[in-house]
Amino acid sequence: MRILIAEDEFTSHRILRAVLTKWNYDVVSAHDGSEAWEKLQREDAPKLAVLDWMMPKMDGLEVCYKLRQMEKTIPTYIILLTARDSKKDIVKGFEAGADDYIAKPFDNNELRARINAGRRIVELQASLVEKDKLQGVIEMAGAVNHELNQPMQVISGLSELLLDSLDDNHIKEDLKEIKAQVKSMGEITRKLTRITRYKTKSYLTSKIIDLDSAAE
Amino acid sequence: MTEKKILVVDDEVAILNMLKRVFSKEGYTVRSAESAEEAIEILKHDRIHVMFLDLNLPGMTGVELCRQLRKKRPMDIIYAVTGYVSLFELAECREAGFDDYFHKPVELEELLNAAQDAFKKIERWKKR
Repeated sequence: MRILIAEDEFTSHRILRAVLTKWNYDVVSAHDGSEAWEKLQREDAPKLAVLDWMMPKMDGLEVCYKLRQMEKTIPTYIILLTARDSKKDIVKGFEAGADDYIAKPFDNNELRARINAGRRIVELQASLVEKDKLQGVIEMAGAVNHELNQPMQVISGLSELLLDSLDDNHIKEDLKEIKAQVKSMGEITRKLTRITRYKTKSYLTSKIIDLDSAAE
Repeated sequence: MTEKKILVVDDEVAILNMLKRVFSKEGYTVRSAESAEEAIEILKHDRIHVMFLDLNLPGMTGVELCRQLRKKRPMDIIYAVTGYVSLFELAECREAGFDDYFHKPVELEELLNAAQDAFKKIERWKKR
């Protein structure tokens, strides 16, 4: 999982980077508050962030506050890194939108445990979002089936009746093609009823459901 | 040979008309209804033992209709023809007593084969 660390102090930044890499996190670095803010706004921003409270340009608290104003499907899990550990400061951090805090100088085991807790929450939220999306897709698939299969049934049935009553071979060929096309549409709507996973594929500049891997 | 009657129930008139033509062409006598309530009314007067029911009907659904008919008509052949059912609803169809189920769009030949099978089955049971 990717994690952002925002820390201006050189040694502390290096240590954080080293331990997190050792714990198999993919580290994204920021050396001041505005760099952190810029990186956390991106589409593919890390979902976990360790922000130092005291940073130049923008402090960790302000980054927290700004992040919380953003509409995100999965909110960034923020751990504030602080030398201040008075109750008043801690409350201030939580009020700005931090999820957790750790006092400097930090203990590695404690840091690891707190980051793992954050990771669990991010993963849980991601799986809830997936479930919601899947539910929406299944409902849409139901609607498409319900609405389209009726007219398709009429088109294919009438084509078949016409095929039986006509003699003109050219028209018959066309009708056969119409029937074949409706049949393949029917196969698509049938595939929709078997969707059990939320899987997409890229399509031009956006994404569409990948029917072959979403359906069982 | 006795008259072979089929009841078709669908709230979509275009489908009813199409199915009427299909079954009539094959020599069946077809009665049609746009709702479950209308179907029940028809069955009070007509001796019909083979039916094709759409599931999504206004008012009483096709599943409820089948369940209700089954209580008094254990030997009838009742088919479901539907635009959409989830796996869960499919299990409910079995439980309600449908003999088989067809997913629209279905090939007419499949429906004709089903009708043929239905009358053969009824014949067999009558002979014992």
